[in-house]
Amino acid sequence: MFENSMSSTIISRANIAVNRFGYGARGDELAQAEKDPRQWLESQLKPITFNGDFPHSNTILIEHAKYQKDKKRQKKQQKKNSQSGNMKDQKKPRNFSRLALRNMSADTLNQAIASSNSVSWRLLDFFSNHFSVTAHGRLMVGLAATLEREAISRHLLGNFEDMLLSVEQHPAMLIYLNNEKSFGPNSRMAKKRNKGLNENLAREILELHTLGDDGGYSQDDVIELAKGITGWSVKRSGKERGEGFVFRAYGHEPGTRMLLSKTYGQKGIAQGEQMLRDLAMHPATAKHVCYKLAHHFVGQNPSASLLKEMQATWLKNQGNIKAVMHCLFDAEEAWPNTAQKYKAPREFVISTLRALSLKKFKDKALLATLINLGQQPFNAGSPAGYSDDEQDWLGASAMMARIDWSTMVSGYSKRVNAEKVMNLALGKSVSQLTYNSVMRAESRQQALTLLLMSPEFQRR
Amino acid sequence: MKNTNVINDSNNLPTSSLSRRQFITMTGASLALLSFPMSSAFALEEKKQVGNQAGKPKIVWVLLRGALDSLHTIVPTFDQQYKTLRPKLSSSFKSPLLPLEKGFALHPSLKNLHQWYQEKSLIPVVAVSSGYPKRSHFDGQDYLESGKGEIDHDSGWLARAIEVKNKRALAVSRSTPISLRSSDQVNTWYPSNLKDADEDIYAALDKLYQNDESLRASLESGLEVRGLVGDKKGKKKKRQGKFINLTKACAQLMVGEQGVDCAMLELGGWDTHNNQGSRLNNNLAELDNGLVELKSGLGEEWQNTVVIIGTEFGRTAKENGTGGTDHGTGSALFLAGGAVNGGKVQGSWPGLKTEQLFQQRDLMPTTNSFSWIGNVLSQHWQFTEQELKQVFPHVKPYNQVLLRS
Repeated sequence: MFENSMSSTIISRANIAVNRFGYGARGDELAQAEKDPRQWLESQLKPITFNGDFPHSNTILIEHAKYQKDKKRQKKQQKKNSQSGNMKDQKKPRNFSRLALRNMSADTLNQAIASSNSVSWRLLDFFSNHFSVTAHGRLMVGLAATLEREAISRHLLGNFEDMLLSVEQHPAMLIYLNNEKSFGPNSRMAKKRNKGLNENLAREILELHTLGDDGGYSQDDVIELAKGITGWSVKRSGKERGEGFVFRAYGHEPGTRMLLSKTYGQKGIAQGEQMLRDLAMHPATAKHVCYKLAHHFVGQNPSASLLKEMQATWLKNQGNIKAVMHCLFDAEEAWPNTAQKYKAPREFVISTLRALSLKKFKDKALLATLINLGQQPFNAGSPAGYSDDEQDWLGASAMMARIDWSTMVSGYSKRVNAEKVMNLALGKSVSQLTYNSVMRAESRQQALTLLLMSPEFQRR
Repeated sequence: MKNTNVINDSNNLPTSSLSRRQFITMTGASLALLSFPMSSAFALEEKKQVGNQAGKPKIVWVLLRGALDSLHTIVPTFDQQYKTLRPKLSSSFKSPLLPLEKGFALHPSLKNLHQWYQEKSLIPVVAVSSGYPKRSHFDGQDYLESGKGEIDHDSGWLARAIEVKNKRALAVSRSTPISLRSSDQVNTWYPSNLKDADEDIYAALDKLYQNDESLRASLESGLEVRGLVGDKKGKKKKRQGKFINLTKACAQLMVGEQGVDCAMLELGGWDTHNNQGSRLNNNLAELDNGLVELKSGLGEEWQNTVVIIGTEFGRTAKENGTGGTDHGTGSALFLAGGAVNGGKVQGSWPGLKTEQLFQQRDLMPTTNSFSWIGNVLSQHWQFTEQELKQVFPHVKPYNQVLLRS
């Protein structure tokens, strides 16, 4: 007898390890996890390294400066031409940014699809969305995808404070949230050029990156943090020597700051850095980020005891992400044996292509799929990132788009044996109804479509 | 069963299939010409042929996936058992059956096929089977596509046929179906602007989500948005089949100097375990309309064309408890086209009495599908007996005259 609920199928611990915490089984991963699911999960946490095939943010800054120069020159030339009646077409400057974004977004997806450590890729995607940047405007189009590569991935299994500092000093975040031009009202810079404070980054650090919106900070704290990180800027390529992050001392607000009742008397860059390190270890930050992790990996309503355990681990271990993840793996509350959450589009697409053991999906097709399904990389449109609530992905037209995509993928996979894929992806954690529907489908294509769209594959 | 490995088929994915096959991407609206990896000698020979003949003999293979109920398609009105076995289904036709010879009649949705029959360009063949002895869709389809008397996922009968005669084929599909595997003269094409999912998928998912309220709610409102189920005012958009788009495009890719010699089309939706009456009303109409589009798209080439329409097996002689039929054995085959010498029903009728049925439940097959297809190959593509052995190693072609000479 089935219960009349979404979560009637009992799922094995190996299935939970592979599907709830990772991007689904590729090849025989489910069998590998079978022996010791907890141990398998731990072995999944491996550092993520990106190779150097893609442009560094510094290169993007250089190319962007070149582009602007070219454009200026071109405008001048056009003006001249139209005056002299010469309407010869000018070559458009190459769109370096868009290509960089596409290549890097697709590379991350393809690596997650091919990886034998998909749990680490889930974790990277989690933090990439936690520190969400949106590719709006030519410069951000180029920079957006570099943040996870340069600032997030290298601290993925390290301490949160190091990741936080790396992120807030990365050109992508500084430019996205306008800190590169935020200067202390009493700095030399402000006096000379009449430039002032921009609270944007400081506010999102408190609200989204650390304490959370109920984290107990005030508007004064926002301003104090904003002042503390004044002068955190990005070099202007072509006009200054070198590229990337720069601390402009003459733009930094002088004096002592007071953040969350704590005094910061440091001089220069050290002031803001100490503020961020303290924020990273603040109990409200531990609470906020641990909740988000549990809500992402486990389910919509993580239990209070699980959250308490994770927060304690965070505070005991310098906000060490690996330690917090181990704590999550160890907690029985993370292993309820029914599906807890509907996959977000990115999870669905990656897990599908892993289940089919596809080596590489064409970049353009892959990105078009995520656009269709509503989760285009680096396009959340808000620093809060994409929603992690399943209700936001369960819409009617989103569902139809998933069905169309599943049918299309199945059409390309005529040689695929749906029963074999079902065994590899879900093992025995399949309801009789799903098993029968797949096995009795009228064609191989329909069988695979039904498997991909089954509740067991759509949820984890 | 070799080579079911997914990785080996990655070439069939969007990543590379088109470029590897030197295939020009086409959208439904603007069909460009196909380019094939031809040797120059082959190209020359082709030109000569085009110059000399009005057209080359063409074959279109239409596979109905899901097991068409032949008894509901070519109805044996003379058989006393028919109404006894199928009290509900036999009275589910919305308009009069379309009479054929010997007391057979076509389903009323097949009005164009019936017209072809009257014009003598359609041959319905009753009580056929590929020889596949069981009742699994996947294996049954694989068996029918392999044509070897066993399942071979890497070699299909149509591919072997075009290899023998140095012809070129097109699969209107996203990846190569078994029928056309083992030849390098095959391309795949599928319109990029077509929504893939169809009503059968939706119906199957609706069933699959019966215990999952939220998925089911999403699906149902999605169907409502697309106008596929009645909305609050009870309106339902008219069914717009996609098969018609496929046959139209298929025809365009078969005509002209660069047109292919043969093509394969697939149509699903035949697994009618329930609600068969109304489902087949729709599905057969979609098939019928699609084939009309194929004919009109082929233009003069229709005179040189044979369309072979088959399905993996038939369905139970008796209707089941849910207004449908279950997996069976003997089914039907259609041969259609300007090259066909039609207007008669072929095959021999085994009868529907219990003792005449296969395992006392299914229509008994009396002839072999491959023998009929082999006949078409020898008359249409001049296959010798020896050549035909390479295509169908285990069967001999029948020698009825099926085509116009």
